[in-house]
Amino acid sequence: MSKPKVATDWMAGCAGCHMSLLDIDERILQVLELIDLRASPITDLKEADESGVVVGVLEGGINNTANEHQAKLMRSRCKILVALGDCAVFGGVPAMRNFFTIEESLRRAYIETESTVDGFIPTDPELAVPTRVRAVSEVVPVDIHVPGCPPSADVIFHVLSELAQGRIPEIKDENLHWH
Amino acid sequence: MYQLKIDDKEIEVPEGTTVLKAAGMAGVEIPTLCDHPALEPYGGCRLCLVEIEGARTLQPACTLPVSDKMVIKTQTEKVKNARKFILSMIFSERNHFCPYCQVSGSDCELQNAAYGEGMTHWPIQPNWQPYPVDASHPYFVLEHNRCILCRRCVRACAELVGNFTLGMEERGANTLLVADLGVPLGSSSCISCGVCVQICPTGALIDRWSAYRGQEKDVSSTKTICLGCSIGCGIEVLHRDNNLIKINGDWDAEINGGVLCDVGRFIPMDEKRNRLATPMIRKDGGLKAATWDEALSVVMENFKPFINKKENGIAAIASTRLPADVLYYYKQVFEEILGSNMVTSTEEGRYTEVLSEFAEDKGPFEVKLSEIQKADTIMTIGLDLTKDHQVAGFFIKRLIPEGTKVIPVSYESSGMDAFTHHSMIIERNEDLAFIQALDAAITGLDCSQFSEKSGVSSQEITEIANLLDRSQNLVIVYGTDFNTKQKKETVQSLLKLAKKLNAKLISPKGKANSLVAEQLKLNKSFNVNGHKAAYVALGDEDPSQAIIKKLENISFLVVQASYHSALTAKADVVLPVTNWLEQSGYYITCDGHVQLANKSLQSPVDVKTNKEVVLAIADQLKIIVNPVWDKAVKLEKSVVEIE
Ligand code: SF4
Ligand code: SF4
Ligand code: SF4
Ligand code: SF4
Ligand code: FES
Repeated sequence: MSKPKVATDWMAGCAGCHMSLLDIDERILQVLELIDLRASPITDLKEADESGVVVGVLEGGINNTANEHQAKLMRSRCKILVALGDCAVFGGVPAMRNFFTIEESLRRAYIETESTVDGFIPTDPELAVPTRVRAVSEVVPVDIHVPGCPPSADVIFHVLSELAQGRIPEIKDENLHWH
Repeated sequence: MYQLKIDDKEIEVPEGTTVLKAAGMAGVEIPTLCDHPALEPYGGCRLCLVEIEGARTLQPACTLPVSDKMVIKTQTEKVKNARKFILSMIFSERNHFCPYCQVSGSDCELQNAAYGEGMTHWPIQPNWQPYPVDASHPYFVLEHNRCILCRRCVRACAELVGNFTLGMEERGANTLLVADLGVPLGSSSCISCGVCVQICPTGALIDRWSAYRGQEKDVSSTKTICLGCSIGCGIEVLHRDNNLIKINGDWDAEINGGVLCDVGRFIPMDEKRNRLATPMIRKDGGLKAATWDEALSVVMENFKPFINKKENGIAAIASTRLPADVLYYYKQVFEEILGSNMVTSTEEGRYTEVLSEFAEDKGPFEVKLSEIQKADTIMTIGLDLTKDHQVAGFFIKRLIPEGTKVIPVSYESSGMDAFTHHSMIIERNEDLAFIQALDAAITGLDCSQFSEKSGVSSQEITEIANLLDRSQNLVIVYGTDFNTKQKKETVQSLLKLAKKLNAKLISPKGKANSLVAEQLKLNKSFNVNGHKAAYVALGDEDPSQAIIKKLENISFLVVQASYHSALTAKADVVLPVTNWLEQSGYYITCDGHVQLANKSLQSPVDVKTNKEVVLAIADQLKIIVNPVWDKAVKLEKSVVEIE
């Protein structure tokens, strides 16, 4: 049996969930024996294979048009989409800004912060357009929600090893934390 | 008895039991949010929905009384889906991003309920409406964004405390928890009892002191009693790495059923006094650190010439916050062995002495605090239960909505006035005249002479007298803050009046071991007179100005204390002792319950318990003290039956 292909990507998160993935230490070797890790922010390949992967993992919420594109691309190229971590599952810490208007958040970030001198809000047309922060499931259908801020290495190991063995992981009891 | 089937369990329960309670008895768990065992069932959140065979819709288990042959299902798909739906709705109403919430991790009942249903995400996202945060209260913060409108706090404030500070404003999604008519909590009628904070299931009411210092799963907990006063409320002390984290009311405690006042819950958290860590001896004008052996031998050397010198010997005074056995040892050492005629307590019998004089021939004439809840009329006199012994005040206030008439008698308006129409403001120091006026009115005599003196119109006196006379179950809660010149007479006429009215009497007395001190006759008014040396077993009590002043010219002063104070600064020997959290010992409440206070924290290394210190002194004197304190306490007749 060939190893299932897995791709990961990050969006509006803090990279903490990917750090937690690395936190599984030497068990990463066990995981790599079970899966074929393709594209990810921590490997050279940055986009999931055009030919498709079995499992797509997304960290972070969706807070601009670029994230929307990333999420849709991943969804279109994977069979099973995993929302990894509170930001992907709920919106998480970045979603705090939803309690303000985008205009207010931008002004705070680029002009009003105490360390900013001569700040301005970037308007380059190349840049993605900011949106309200959304959970991944608000933009594309999600198959498995793995909450946690971040999910612990044990939870991630459980999810990946179950998926590698062709099972849909159940997240419950000791593995269920929203933090 | 009704026969029921809950899931696959058959059980028999008494009529009137709710489905939720029946399930509890059968060992079937039904999730709840708005329900709390200390409160009346409310039926607001709907998380407890269950399927009842024959019923068209799901029914809330917390409010539904069982009927015979009822078949209840708590685990069907329909029930589980309803729970998930209800939780989803709650999560969507406000901000429940758990990672930055104070209670997330084990202390949130909402989060636990979601975990219980295996919810990995929210089917409905929140509506992003921000709500205010009220940080105006000195002890806690109200974070509206985490509030689920379960009204547990509102009901606790009303049903348990009788304070009615909290309420709800507006309706639907705009509903907001408010204090009074919408003022900041810090300037509201709140009396800082903190019961609302303890009962809140979410992170909406945040205790400033304990926030982020560890959750239930991280801390250890010790059940013990509050030593704030002689009510003896049960508490749970939460601690972590020998640090005090939080004090909660013990829901299982018979006396208080979980409620506490600010003195029990919040004040001990804000301990600002400096701890005494090592024995000290006065040398060359200053206090210098010493070993215990050195300190004790200096004490002995200086005491020796005064042993058995009665009125020219060693005056001794001990705190009524000390455990019963310590007070008994202390009495033996100073009265019997060192032979002093001035051995007393910091309360000097202020709240108890006149009362016991009456107990001598009458025997116990007071009743248990629990009698309050049966009263239809309650008069309070000679004390202010909104300042001291506050939980007894809660017991009274919370009865008012049920129709109990409450008559607080005081010299000036008190915190009770807002809750009752029957407050009596009388002329300062004229309690005796007031009681005599009532007595006359009840007997059908002219009361005008007394009523005038007491500053209350005879019409009002007659009204109150009628109220008292008509009552079927009258309780008089009294203190001894009476005119000092007429204290005995006032109490005597109060007892006479109570007898006439067939009233039950309760006096909350003073500090935690007020009654024990009285029973051991540590009740003299303190005077140094001809005494040459003095020993003050202060424990963790603050010395009063009066006592500091009286000890001003003593030639040799020993202070046994937990904290630095103006008195330790004057001492010749300072003996550092444990505070209330670091020792165990027995206490007798104002109404005669014997309770054990348990040790929650370890003491600093060079500090001894109060008991160890008194026993060390006995040891220096080469005597063995009698340990049977409970017998000694019961030797004299007491005002209330001691268990
Ligand atoms: S109140 Fe409970 S559910 Fe809401 S954010 Fe806090 S921990 Fe999470
Ligand atoms: S602290 Fe006590 S009095 Fe104040 S609002 Fe809460 S329950 Fe009411
Ligand atoms: S503050 Fe707490 S107890 Fe009060 S209604 Fe809100 S969630 Fe319930
Ligand atoms: S009433 Fe007395 S025993 Fe009860 S909490 Fe208040 S101070 Fe402590
Ligand atoms: S617990 Fe029954 S309705 Fe809230």
